[in-house]
Amino acid sequence: MAVPVDCSGEAYRGTPVSPGRAWGPVHCARRADTILVDPVSGDPRAVLRRAVAAAVDDLRRLASEAAPDSAGILDFQIEMLLDEEILTPAFARIAAGEGPLLAWAGAMTAYINSFVPDDRDDDAFAARVADLTDLRQRVLDALDGRPRADFPAGAIYVGADMPPSVFLAHDWSAGGGIALGAGSAISHVALLARARGVPMVVGLGEIALADGNSALIDGDEGLLRLAPPAVEPVPMVVARRAVPPLGPLPTGDAVTLGVNINSLADLDAFDVAAVDCVGLVRTEFLFPTAADALNEERHVAAYVKILARLKGRPVTVRMLDLGGDKTLAGVAEGGAASLLGLRGIRLLLAHPELARVQARALLRAAALGPLSVLLPMVTLPGEVTAMAQIFAEEEARLAARGVSIARPPLGIMVEVPAAALTLDLFAAAAFFSVGTNDLMQYLSAAARDNPAVAPLNAGSEIALFRLLDQVSASARALGKPLSVCGDLAGEPQGLARLVAAGFRDVSVAPSRLAAVRELLRGAVNADAGAGVAHGP
Amino acid sequence: MSERHARLPRERSGTSWQTEVEVTHGIGLHARPSVTFTRLAKSFPCSIEVAVDGSGEWLNGKSIVKIMGARIRRGARLRIRADGSRAEEAIVALGELVRRNFDEDRKLGRADGRAG
Repeated sequence: MAVPVDCSGEAYRGTPVSPGRAWGPVHCARRADTILVDPVSGDPRAVLRRAVAAAVDDLRRLASEAAPDSAGILDFQIEMLLDEEILTPAFARIAAGEGPLLAWAGAMTAYINSFVPDDRDDDAFAARVADLTDLRQRVLDALDGRPRADFPAGAIYVGADMPPSVFLAHDWSAGGGIALGAGSAISHVALLARARGVPMVVGLGEIALADGNSALIDGDEGLLRLAPPAVEPVPMVVARRAVPPLGPLPTGDAVTLGVNINSLADLDAFDVAAVDCVGLVRTEFLFPTAADALNEERHVAAYVKILARLKGRPVTVRMLDLGGDKTLAGVAEGGAASLLGLRGIRLLLAHPELARVQARALLRAAALGPLSVLLPMVTLPGEVTAMAQIFAEEEARLAARGVSIARPPLGIMVEVPAAALTLDLFAAAAFFSVGTNDLMQYLSAAARDNPAVAPLNAGSEIALFRLLDQVSASARALGKPLSVCGDLAGEPQGLARLVAAGFRDVSVAPSRLAAVRELLRGAVNADAGAGVAHGP
Repeated sequence: MSERHARLPRERSGTSWQTEVEVTHGIGLHARPSVTFTRLAKSFPCSIEVAVDGSGEWLNGKSIVKIMGARIRRGARLRIRADGSRAEEAIVALGELVRRNFDEDRKLGRADGRAG
């Protein structure tokens, strides 16, 4: 992105999205290139072949330095990768339309599963499972081996938009901010920025700015100011927005307050003793690359860490909700079309390999603590049954290998109007969680990250609350737990109306915890407030 | 490769040679023995195939993926057949390797016997 340098100190005005101010060097975004099809031959098989060759090189380097014992294992792994037969099933999957990542993962998993011990077996073959799993991962890592699109710590990221994976890969502890020419106030990256307290402005238009410039981003005023005068020192990040005035809350049953987790760093952003649970783990943000998402051990490690930090409090993990602005190179390309297409559970069921990796990890983690699983973007009850079937199959496989497991309860996100209107048909789901952002998007048929239709989205609150009344009644009739994990629960008026509609279980971003707790305390103290009319 | 054991039974049919041998090694053809076996097989120009316990399915004897996948355990009877140039030499060498328990005793540690 070659742009002329502009040192006039002029300001760009946009839409404030995440409060606070930051000043720092500018980093102009460049397109990250993902290699999924060979640029020369146009062949995804060539990509896989190259990744296998890279993994062999790695293993040879390791073998040259290894002790004789481990050199034996490395030799075995090298021989396996040099054997053309290992590519045959993966190539068959590519021919059937799968990308190289999922084709390799699926083919290797099928091969590895053939080593699950039967009753007459001994450990020698079962022990190969670990070596082969490691092989599978080495090639996946090689497939993902492109450089990360990270930028210097403390920088102001300037670009048309920002993929959530770039936000998540970055270390924000040194400050910095986000200035987007396009973008949206309700995109996932905006949600992440607010949760993390990173100043962010969108809708700035064409920004004439280059790397090396300095800029001030003002997330309260919605301003990007170029080369601010040095005589006016600005703290790196200033004042978060104060808690808005309390809205009236009805009293009654106690409200369960949970926290939403987007990254493992979020675990340090709240006082565990002060929350009742983790109401939502957005796993698509925990595993930014396909190699991560397809790595069972990385899943398990993350879930165990969250369970350990919560010290026995319940943790609800949402399965990968990919699509829309949440992409995964090589697996989910995202884009506006996928908002009404292959997204959430639809994508998981279309790529069962991805679902199976996560299901195995969730089954293993559930043996170690109170873990529930939330299915994203469910439309029909059959999708829940299909996913339950995957869990049952993986449970049997793990049990055959003697792995300690527990079947977690499967709940659904209520975010597709069809599901919200027919909640009574979802007796197969163990619990419900309303995603208010997406439900509003689909109710209004207005994409949440398209500024041109944002007012329609925001204006559909009446429809949303009418539907939420019905959802609340249906869940009560079924006797199933119901919670809200959308942004609405973190806003004073939104929270008040949710409580009025019968919701008693909310989960919010760590940065909203204090404010929400304050609101709830106010409600409990204001006994006389019961019966106040709320909502439309 | 050199030993030509007269003890090893073998049959000939045109350019194709076959032999049968029992796996007596501790575990069977797990990782290291599979590496040794397939590396030796790959050193011959002829085609080499293996069938386990009278199975009609012939596996590519040069493919460690196939040999490992067959999970050949101790006590299994391997039929080894080779077709083409140096076929007889190949089946004898591979048959003897199985009888010698894949040289596991001599080459502790290294799967391929290279100096390590």
